[in-house]
This record gives sequence, C-alpha cells and structure tokens, in this order.
Amino acid sequence: MSWEKSGKEGSLLRWYDVMEAEKYEYTVGPAGEQFFNGLKQGKIVGSKCSKCGRIFVPARSYCEHCFVKIENYVEVNKDEAYVDSYTIIYNDDEGNKLAQPVFVALIRFLNVEGGLLCYAEGNVKVGAKAKITSFQWPLRVKVD
Amino acid sequence: MKVNIHLNKRVAVIGAGLTPFRRRLLETPQEIAWEAASKALDEAGLELKDIDCVVIGSAPDAFDGVNLKGEYLSHGSGGIRKPVSRVYVGGATGVMTAIAGWYHVASGLCQKVLAVAEEKMSPDRPHPQAIFRYIWDPILEKPLNPNLIWIFAMEMHRYMATYGIKKEEIALVSVKNKRNAVNNPYAQLGSNITVEDVLKSEVLVWPVQLLDVSPVSDGGAAIVLASEDVARRYTDTPVWVEGVGWTLDNTEWPARDLSYARYVEFAARMAYKMAGIERPNKEIDVAEPYDPFDYKELHHLEALQLAKRGEAPKLLKEGVFDIDGDIPSSPSGGLLGVGNPIAAAGLMKVISIYWQLKGTAGKMQVKRPVHTGVAQAWGDLMQAGTVIVLRN
Ligand SMILES: [Zn+2]
Repeated sequence: MSWEKSGKEGSLLRWYDVMEAEKYEYTVGPAGEQFFNGLKQGKIVGSKCSKCGRIFVPARSYCEHCFVKIENYVEVNKDEAYVDSYTIIYNDDEGNKLAQPVFVALIRFLNVEGGLLCYAEGNVKVGAKAKITSFQWPLRVKVD
Repeated sequence: MKVNIHLNKRVAVIGAGLTPFRRRLLETPQEIAWEAASKALDEAGLELKDIDCVVIGSAPDAFDGVNLKGEYLSHGSGGIRKPVSRVYVGGATGVMTAIAGWYHVASGLCQKVLAVAEEKMSPDRPHPQAIFRYIWDPILEKPLNPNLIWIFAMEMHRYMATYGIKKEEIALVSVKNKRNAVNNPYAQLGSNITVEDVLKSEVLVWPVQLLDVSPVSDGGAAIVLASEDVARRYTDTPVWVEGVGWTLDNTEWPARDLSYARYVEFAARMAYKMAGIERPNKEIDVAEPYDPFDYKELHHLEALQLAKRGEAPKLLKEGVFDIDGDIPSSPSGGLLGVGNPIAAAGLMKVISIYWQLKGTAGKMQVKRPVHTGVAQAWGDLMQAGTVIVLRN
C-alpha cells in the first residue's frame, strides 16, 4: 500500500498491516521443462502443432488455435532470431537514474509464433538480426 | 423473496471435462484449464471454433500467483479472439461459472458456451491459507489475525450447539465422502476411514480437526452449454439446466445466524421455483452440496431443503445420503474426497450431477435411477450461495 507523500497520514485513525503471501513456487509445466532444458544445451525449443503446423516459442503443450495437445518438440533455428521491438530503460523501479541505460528487446524467430524478452546490446534496431549470447534466463542477445 | 427472471432459451449441458485433482500438479494453470476445456469439447463433440463465448471461473488471483487470472487463463480456456468473461464469488465461483454460462445461452445471446474453472492452490507459500488474510474487515476482525478455519470452527460449533449435534455425527460426512471418492478416478483423497480416525486426527482449530477439512488441491473443470436446438443436434442425452439460483447474504458474517445457511436457502428457492420443484426432498434424486468441511455438507443439505433444520445428521446416520440411499449426497466424494481447488471444485459438483443424469458416472453412478439433481457451492466472505438444478 502506498501513501501520497503530502497526504494526511499522520492525522488519520489508522491500522497498519502486511497481508501478502510470503512467496510463490511456480511450475513451468511439461512444455516449459522442454524449453528450459533446451536452453541449458544452447537450444531454442519450440513445439509444433500436428494439426495446423504452427510452431510456438517458448514450447507449450497445446495449440491455442486447434485446441489440441502438442507433443512434438522442435529445435528452432537460432540464426533466424530478429528484433521485433525494443526499448531503452533509463531509470530503475524506484525511479533512480541508471548508470548505464538498459536495452530490452522482444525477439522472434521466422515463421514461429511467440517471442522472448531479452537483454540486448549492440546496434539494436527493429528488424535487425539478433544473436543469442547467453542462454541463462533471461536471455541476452547481441545485435550487429 | 421475489426474483424476476425471464428466459429466452432452454439450456442443456452437452459435455464436461475434469483434470485429476492433485496437490502440486506439474502443469501450469493455463495447461490445467486447457486439459479440462478440451475434454469438455471432446465430450460435446464440438471444436473450439464452434464455441460462441467463454466463461472463466477462478477464485482469488492470489492462489495461482497471477494477477487478472481470467485474462491469464483465457488462453488455455479457448477464449482467445472470443467474448470472454470471468466470474468470481469465492468458493461459490464454480457453480456460478455454470450459471454464467447458462445465462449467456438462456438470454439468447449465445448458442454454445464453454465454461471453465481452474484453481492452482499449491504455488502459494507458506500455505494458501495466507491468501485469506485479505478477506477480513481490516479494523474489526483483522487485529485478531483470523484465518478461515477459525470462522468455520465457530460456525460448526454454533451448528452443533443449536441442534445438539455431536462431532461423531458430523464425522460421518467425511467418512462417507472419502469412501465415495475411492470410486472417482479424478479424486485426490479417496480412502476408507472411520469416525474414530476423524476424531483422532489432529485438532486444527477446535472443533475442526484435520479429517474434517478438504485438502489443498490443484485442478480444472469445464462444461459445454448449448441451446435446446443445438443440444438436440449434438446429443441424444442432453441434461437440462432447469433452474439456477444465486444469492448474496449479509457480508457481515458476525451478524448472521451461523447455524443456518440462509444464503443457500434463498439461492435454492430461486432455482427450485424456476425448475418447478415444490418438494425438494421428494423430487431431488441426487445432490452435490458444497463440502469443504464435513459439517458444511449437513448445513447445506438443510439449506437446500433436503433435510429439516438440524436433522441432516439424523438422516445421514440412517443412510439417506449414502450412495444407495434415498438422496445420495456427494456421490463424487465431494471436496472432502476429491479435493478442493476452489472454483474447479464447485464446477466439479455440477459435472458430477451431469454425469449422474447422463448415466456415465461409472463406478460413481448411484444405484437408483436418477432424473433430477442439484449442485451447490458457497463462498465469497462466506455469504454467497449458488445452486443449479439439472434434469435429464
Ligand atoms: Zn494448431
């Protein structure tokens, strides 16, 4: 809960409390496991719908169009990664100026549905080819 | 109570799907929703492209740890590029999901609706109970740091005190439901336990003990609803939604009579009136009352007018609510036996009745022929009642 700095906080009858759950432990799901295990081997793993042929990245276990289960995992050609859009971040979450601006890019692959948010460096441009330089999550890409 | 509701179309359930109810399912919430939704479409003989709109039910976003869970789930629920709405009335959500699907069709707006409910309670640490820290009055109640079990304990105690009911009599619900769940392939906690086991289990918040409570669970449930003309094209055994009811009682729970679930009574009266039911205890063949706690099933059987006030324990003991009794109650195993992924658990109750009336409940099928069934859920700040009456 946030308070306006100029509010009347001090003059109100009030109770303070903290109510959030302490943490969450999410699962990535069976398809997510294929994708993240692929990253460990430097691979981008997608899944291919046997009905419509669409390939999804990251891999997922069903096709949203055909609504069928996907069990066919495929390695996507990393060399076809390109920058779909990007942004440059100058301030952190708290509003403090960053020493170095951070580039974040949405990368996609040719003829593949979906995209991945990555840290980016180099001559980042919309449509430019992106090379994945780190497969640690979140990914890093370099654009020439 | 007077309710002015005008129907345009008769509505049938033509398909249903469930995932197993389990603790810590590997699948993501979207994948759980997809599994239930795709099974429901398969049973209906429809494809996603045939569906006009999607209704999603989920209880607090905070369970799955994803904000705006309706939007998040719409992908796996088949809602992309379709009209989607989400309903949320806490524990009453599961049956409300079916009701919301129903009114999309009953109004004439849509012909084929997919209604999906999902809950994944296991990601939350230290325990999903923490999520309910949010529901109290911040000033009047929160300073005591209550949790839900406290409140149920107080309700249970009041119910016992008002009618002179013993814990042994209430424990029989847990025994019956867990026993029924042995025959349910989707169930998490089917087992043959005794009243002794319940009474010897850990006391959580007196008089609530461990085996009085449904387990934390993950799961998904989905149904396909269709207008009469469509339903007759797709199935020879449509199960009709004959009546629905939903009510919100006073949100100030300390102001309510804790021994009686008036919110369920009002919802039930609305649903029975719509279905033309005058003597519920004679006309209802099978019931799925909401049972996150064992006493709650008794509470709800009374509010559903299937037993007089305070008399549900007696009828239970006589076997009336057994799977081969006069009014089998929770033949699925209920939440106590199947598990309690909240929204999905409520819709599971509707599905249980649907399969009973369709005659495809397998080993769960009740012995006598059944024609009319009722499913019910309850929740929000424990004052929302939702009831649905189905008939074959
Ligand atoms: Zn497809």
